Amino acid sequence: MSVGASAPPPAIAAQGLAKRFGPVVALAGVDFAVPAGRVLAVLGPNGAGKSTLLRILAGLTRPSAGRVAMGTGAAEAGDRRHGRGRVGYVGHATFLYPNLTARENLVFAGRLYGVADPHARAAALLAEQGLEPIAERTAGSFSRGQAQRLAIARGLVHDPPVVLLDEPFTGLDPTSADRLAARLRSLAGSGRAVVLVTHDLAQAAALGDRALLLVRGRIAFDSGAVRAEAAALETAWREATAA
Amino acid sequence: MNVALAILWKDLVTEWRSRDRVVAMAVFSFLVVVVLHFALPARDADEARRLAPGLLWVAYIFAALLGLNRAFALELENEALAGLALAPADRGWVFLGKAAANFVILGAVQAITAAVFALAFDVDLASIAPSLVLVVALGSLGICAVGTLLGAVSVRTRYREVMLPLLLLPLLVPVLLAAVDATAGLLETGTLRWRPIQLLIVTDAIFLIVSFTSFEYVLDE
Repeated sequence: MSVGASAPPPAIAAQGLAKRFGPVVALAGVDFAVPAGRVLAVLGPNGAGKSTLLRILAGLTRPSAGRVAMGTGAAEAGDRRHGRGRVGYVGHATFLYPNLTARENLVFAGRLYGVADPHARAAALLAEQGLEPIAERTAGSFSRGQAQRLAIARGLVHDPPVVLLDEPFTGLDPTSADRLAARLRSLAGSGRAVVLVTHDLAQAAALGDRALLLVRGRIAFDSGAVRAEAAALETAWREATAA
Repeated sequence: MNVALAILWKDLVTEWRSRDRVVAMAVFSFLVVVVLHFALPARDADEARRLAPGLLWVAYIFAALLGLNRAFALELENEALAGLALAPADRGWVFLGKAAANFVILGAVQAITAAVFALAFDVDLASIAPSLVLVVALGSLGICAVGTLLGAVSVRTRYREVMLPLLLLPLLVPVLLAAVDATAGLLETGTLRWRPIQLLIVTDAIFLIVSFTSFEYVLDE
């Protein structure tokens, strides 16, 4: 989505992002910007560089080239700490401690992020995710779906203005998936910028205000300012992956 | 600072519930003391006193290596280390929290080891306990400072169980020399030698500062 001169600064912007792991090129010059209140869906086959892109945006991995800008400040070198504080990241792994209860995991995450009242915040998130009845159980005893819901709560513990989600629907039952989809819409509705990595074309079309298709570290398709239809995404996917 | 306290709390609670690190370290150091006891059968009280400082620190170092290796293995499950790296604080505080937890856990094991050691080698450690606690605390601070840094470095390598001792032991030479010297002085005269204590303080300060400032880069992928 192009941002004009009069438009507010994007909540998160990638400029010329590149990442190499030795001889392997994971990302080769990726540019985009996500304004507040929008959902960007990132699609791509396995090994396309989607997760690497998200980890760079989250501040976990340094790019080989390019920069990430957060709001009005650069989060590249000068203030990576500031950037980490503005991002809520839900990755493939849950980041949970199996010996801590669900509540303790959230309170601990709240303390890491300097949340003013981590206990109250944990209680609110547990209620929101429907985890209250099992809040005192250790995370190690959770099913995949329960752990995923707790991981999503953990990612939102500091109420971040930018939310990055890597395949967040994995392991969720239909009810939880619907609840998460509604939550993503409400996050965007309340002014958060959301970057959603998914393999599901229909999901990307339904949730994304913009869709990017990554293939071998490059943007192979960009729906731009127009919400992409599932059929258009499928065509773009077939063409890009066949090339 | 709050990040360090949160990590200290988290590590101690998880250790209290599982007890896997303390039990493994205590059993291992107990076995080391027993092996050393039988490896040196012909000795008198003077010989025991002469060898005791070095043997005690050998047991401490082995226990520390085991514990430091486990400290970050805990963070690999569910990629929790990445969760710590995402905290919007100076990552030096993450280091300090992990190092503090390692220090407390190692301290508990050292207390058990000292009691077993005193019995096995018939050495009176009780009469010098306050001064010995100071020496052990200073030695352990250095071990935990640089050990936590290198534990974080080695945990993501393929041969982490081997990598940590290879990286750590050479760096611990000044700490060991000073700690053994100070412990020997205590056992011989009952008083603290100032020079090894000075060396321990300086080495600890260097290890803490270097580890605190370099942890930002250690946690990057």
